[in-house]
Amino acid sequence: MFASPLLAADAVLPTPAKIPRTADGKPDFSGIWQTTGGADFDLTPHQGRKDSPPGLGIVEGGEIPYTPAALDKKKKNFAARETDDPRLKCWTLGTPRGIYYPEPFQIFQRKQDVTLYFEFGYSVRTIHTDGTLHPVDTDQEFWLGDSRGHWEGDTLVVDVRDFNDLTWLSRAGDFHDEALHIVEHWKLLDANTIDYKATLEDPNVYSRPWNIEVILYRHREPNFQLIENYCYTLDYDKYYPFPQE
Amino acid sequence: MSMTEQALMKLRCGLLACTVALAPAATALAQDAAAGARSSAAAPSSAPSQQRGAGPGIGYERTVPVITSGPWTGKRLPDGQPDISGDWSNTIANHNNTTDPQGGIPGDPHERPPRTTREQRAPSRVTDPADGQLPYLPWARAKQIEFAKGFFDASKPEYLEPLARCAPAGIPKSFYWHGYEIRQYPGYIVFLFNSGARIIHLNNPKHLSPDIKLWQGDSRGHWEGNTLVVDVGNLNSKARFGRTAEFTTENVHVVERFIFDGSNQRYNYVATFTDPAAFSRPFTITVPARRWTVADKTNEWHYEVPLANNPGKPPIGDHLERICVENNGGFGRLPAAPATVPTAAPDPAARPTAAR
Repeated sequence: MFASPLLAADAVLPTPAKIPRTADGKPDFSGIWQTTGGADFDLTPHQGRKDSPPGLGIVEGGEIPYTPAALDKKKKNFAARETDDPRLKCWTLGTPRGIYYPEPFQIFQRKQDVTLYFEFGYSVRTIHTDGTLHPVDTDQEFWLGDSRGHWEGDTLVVDVRDFNDLTWLSRAGDFHDEALHIVEHWKLLDANTIDYKATLEDPNVYSRPWNIEVILYRHREPNFQLIENYCYTLDYDKYYPFPQE
Repeated sequence: MSMTEQALMKLRCGLLACTVALAPAATALAQDAAAGARSSAAAPSSAPSQQRGAGPGIGYERTVPVITSGPWTGKRLPDGQPDISGDWSNTIANHNNTTDPQGGIPGDPHERPPRTTREQRAPSRVTDPADGQLPYLPWARAKQIEFAKGFFDASKPEYLEPLARCAPAGIPKSFYWHGYEIRQYPGYIVFLFNSGARIIHLNNPKHLSPDIKLWQGDSRGHWEGNTLVVDVGNLNSKARFGRTAEFTTENVHVVERFIFDGSNQRYNYVATFTDPAAFSRPFTITVPARRWTVADKTNEWHYEVPLANNPGKPPIGDHLERICVENNGGFGRLPAAPATVPTAAPDPAARPTAAR
């Protein structure tokens, strides 16, 4: 065996992918995104079920560290998932479920905020990147949490707090309560791919913080757009403008 | 009246046919509104969440400013759009009454009729035809009368204002239902209303398939100088114009013109509706709007943006989540089958976050 200059160690490092940037040099997440995986079915590894394909899961370490009482509740949720999943009422998916739900969302980006516009329920989440802090009133119980973000190099780090307890994390009945706190890391791997990582903690539900990671892909079909989906009106929209005979 | 409004009025009266009149001193409400409309220079607060409230309630301006389409001379965004981002609301009344906005809800058993005469109140939102009335075909007028009566007697599901069920306010009601925020991006303008939101696609005119019907429709816009022109198709027409229950059919096509004053403090929303299935001719709705900033006091209608937690720095408005789930759908709230007025106890899980 002989050494060749072509096999020198630093010759195999990939060059960083070119990513779109805003006028002030920040990575530009603008666009319409969606995950291809089945994380919404179940965050943890599972074989196929009648109502779910199998999945490798997106939880680091494979298990969500529920407390014993919380695990009981998760199992009850799972057993009742066909009726109790709040997505069936088209209630706002919450954070982070909206991000890995199998329906696109659009990111609009300005210097002062990054706006996530979810097609499901047409709900809007604002990540404030203007240096402001979480509100002094910490009890507003938002569906999507209050999101304050800042840049660390090319990563958008977002602190999310102040939730209600009405959303699930997946169809398998994974849940949280009002004390949920999330730290997200958003990073463009290349112009068409986002690496999304989040650490979730909730001392009332989990015995320690735990991490998830999903990859989001840019929708590149020609003329792709969100289509308004106010699905929570479907139970009653037949009465308007008036019932058709 | 604020310094800005006084300056604006002088400019308008000097250059254009002036239709601005002073608010009547007669009613206490008008006086309160005028007093509240003074801009207050808010000192940076060391307690950022302090209530800045006690601003004016429902707008009691009585006239629509004359704003002509023409070139834009104000600030622009890097992509060339006029910079109209920020917080706005209509200036005349609310969603009570489309043809007599300050006239109260006809047949309201809870309120006395207004003591003002029709001439003392703001004009109809219908600016064309000239009589201020919607040009209904007879069947549609009969339906509107039925729904307007039904507003006070929800004995049929279609008598319930869909907004009360968290459906989006739609077009045009979104523009006189609470205040709203406009955000702009290359290729898009986003409206964040108190109830619902819209994405306007700029310079991308091809509509969705007509098989798709939406509460907010599908909006295709472009700028003409100071005027944002938006072509709205794909409306499902399920939203109503307000408590007087005007409606269109899903055949309606709307062209909106948002005409911005050179001061960038005012605009007129001028929208023409064409719906031959329900109306004998097209009609136009005009809604005047004004901008709100952190210099203004919050109130419970036009400007509900609290100050952000931004210690030691200049004040910034905090635009918080607007999601409505109170009274959500047939899932235990209202019967899925037609008709009885709901008598169920309030669902403790229903927690509104939007102002009602």
